[in-house]
Order: sequence, then C-alpha cells, then structure tokens
Amino acid sequence: MPLATAAGRRPFRHDAELIQASKRGDLSAFEEIHAVHAGRMKSIAFHMLGDRSDAEDAVQEAFLKIYRGVGAIQGDSALAPWIYRILLNCCYDIGRKRSRQAESPLETEPAIPNNLPLQIALRHALARIHPQHRLVFWLFEVEGLRHSEVAAILEIPEGTSKKWLFEAKRELKQLLTEVGP
Amino acid sequence: MTFECRDLERALAAPELLPEAREHARVCAACRRALWLWGELSNMAPGLREDWESPELWPRIRQALEAQQKAAKPRGIDWRLLAGIAAAILVAVSFLILAPFRPAPPARQDSDFLTEQTLKEVEQTETAYRASIDKLARLAEPRLTSSANPRTIADREKLLVLDSEISEVRSTVEHNRFNARLQTELAVLYREKQETLKEILHRAQQY
Repeated sequence: MPLATAAGRRPFRHDAELIQASKRGDLSAFEEIHAVHAGRMKSIAFHMLGDRSDAEDAVQEAFLKIYRGVGAIQGDSALAPWIYRILLNCCYDIGRKRSRQAESPLETEPAIPNNLPLQIALRHALARIHPQHRLVFWLFEVEGLRHSEVAAILEIPEGTSKKWLFEAKRELKQLLTEVGP
Repeated sequence: MTFECRDLERALAAPELLPEAREHARVCAACRRALWLWGELSNMAPGLREDWESPELWPRIRQALEAQQKAAKPRGIDWRLLAGIAAAILVAVSFLILAPFRPAPPARQDSDFLTEQTLKEVEQTETAYRASIDKLARLAEPRLTSSANPRTIADREKLLVLDSEISEVRSTVEHNRFNARLQTELAVLYREKQETLKEILHRAQQY
C-alpha cells in the first residue's frame, strides 16, 4: 500500500521491490524512499518538533533505523506506514532529548490572541489540543493521508482515527470560536 | 424533528444531519459561523504543511548509510562465535539438568561469597542466559523500533533503563566476582528484561 505522495507522484517501484532492494543494502532504494517520502517526513517532523533542523535530524535518524530494521520486515508488508512509525519514534526521541535541555515550546504555548488571521490562529489552536487528536488532524487534514493510512501508522483502529479527527476539529472549533476574528 | 442549536454537534458527527443543520444555519448566525468554521478547518489545514528545500539532506543521509554499511560489512556469520554460544548454552543446560543430582557442598561458606568452581558455573550460565536474551531482543527489535504504540514506547524506555542497570551491575561484578548478592541482582535484572521482551513479542503476535 504505497501512500500517495503530496505531489501525487507514485513510487517507481512497488513496495516489495523496494523492500528487497533495501534489504540488499541498495542505496538507490533508499534514495527512492527519500525522493518519495522525505518532503512529507520533514513536514511531519517539523510539526512535531517545531524546528527545521531538528526535523531534518529526525528524518536522517529515521533512515538509519529503516536501514537497520528493513531486514526484519516481510516482503509483502506496507513500507510507508512502517517508515512513518519509525519517523514518529525518532521525533519522540529527539523531542524528549530536547525537552530535557529546555521546555518544549508546544507545552508553553500562550493563549490565542484574538486579532490573528484565521490560519495563524489555527496554528496556535493546534498547539493547545490533545496531542493524539492533533497528530491525527495533522496526518489527515494537513498531510492528506487517508484514515486507513493514519490508522496503520499509529497502530490504531480506523474508527479511532476518525473519532480523534472529529475530537480534534471539535476542540479547534471551540478554541477558535472563543476568540473569534 | 426541529433542528436546534444544541443539535449542531451531533450533525457535525453525522453527515446525514448536515442538510438540516444548514437549513437551521440560514436563520442562526452562531450555527452559521460554527458550520463555516468546521469546513474552513479542512480548507485551511493543507496550508499548514511545511515545505522547504534541503539539498544537503540526502547526501548527508547517504553518507551516514554508507558509514553503516562499511561498519556492518566485515561481520557476516561468525561461525566460531555461534559455536561458542552453542557450547555455552550446552554447558548451562547440562548444569541446570544435573544440578539436583549433585552432592551437597562439603562445607557452607559465607553465603555472600562464591567458590571458584561455582563462580565459573554462574558465569557460564549467565553467558548462555545473556545470549538467549540477546536473541529475544533481536526478535523484538523491529517491533521496538517501528511501533508508535505508547505501551511499546514505555517498554523501550524500560529496556533502556534495564540495560543501563545491567551494565552498571556487571561492571561492579567485574570488580567483585565472588559476591553472590551482586550475581543475584544481575539475574533479577536479566529476568526482568526477559519478561519485558517476551511481553513485547506476545503483544506483537496478537496484532
């Protein structure tokens, strides 16, 4: 199940071929994974870490883990959810390391000022909702993944993905209605 | 059914109620705004996506992958190491099987200190036990590295703590090999690690 890319481009090879080539250590397979997924990986990592340099570090770390772990995945497995799961774990690791050094900006987000354009207000509001709901909102609404894909990445039932998305939108609506333009 | 403001939340969750909600919104400014905002959330969200060029990222990743490949190449299958592990397991298993039939030790010494022979057996058993736990760890690793499940993440952290404690106790044991209390402490930590790994694998099988 290769995920549709942000630009709508589909990978040149099937997942099974990519997995086989990656298992052989063929770097062109990793280059292809990078070409197809790095843009979205960076965006997700940026959303989780709030910093471009940290996001790129997370993507690099994820590739090293993919390299080390690809030998264990089945040839008929879906590559993309696995890749994004690894990325999320790398983001959690980097986020934890960073929060030991300084308090996470996401945790100390101030209240939403009431004179912001809606999109900026939405960005502020996102930082204040439940983290799991926020992640589902990001993957579904911002990155354009389907519920089945979000569910596979987060290892949750598809119904839970739908429920968390609804909760995210309900929380956002609440926050944005409170301030109003 | 007459649609009222309090029905709006339900309508947002059940699309079949949306036509009624829209009808109601024509005469209710608050619900009109709420409905508009609900739709706008999805319209605005793609604009939040972060896109930036990083031409240096792939070369950096490639370099790191090549370094990994270089480091991994000389390994291959080390038959001598495998044979060593097999021999250690054999010794440990025979020790465990024969233990009940052994004569009691002649004289009880200080229980905190092990004799040379017993220590040798403990160390052999530990080596075999460690090898089997390492095998379990290798089996659990794909699950540990790829799972975003909060329980697996918690287990991963627990294993990191256990590994650090094990390495700490082992380094103390190296300086005090005859201390039975330390050896017991080490065995408890290994046991805890084994149980955690087994639980991860068990959970993986359930999915």
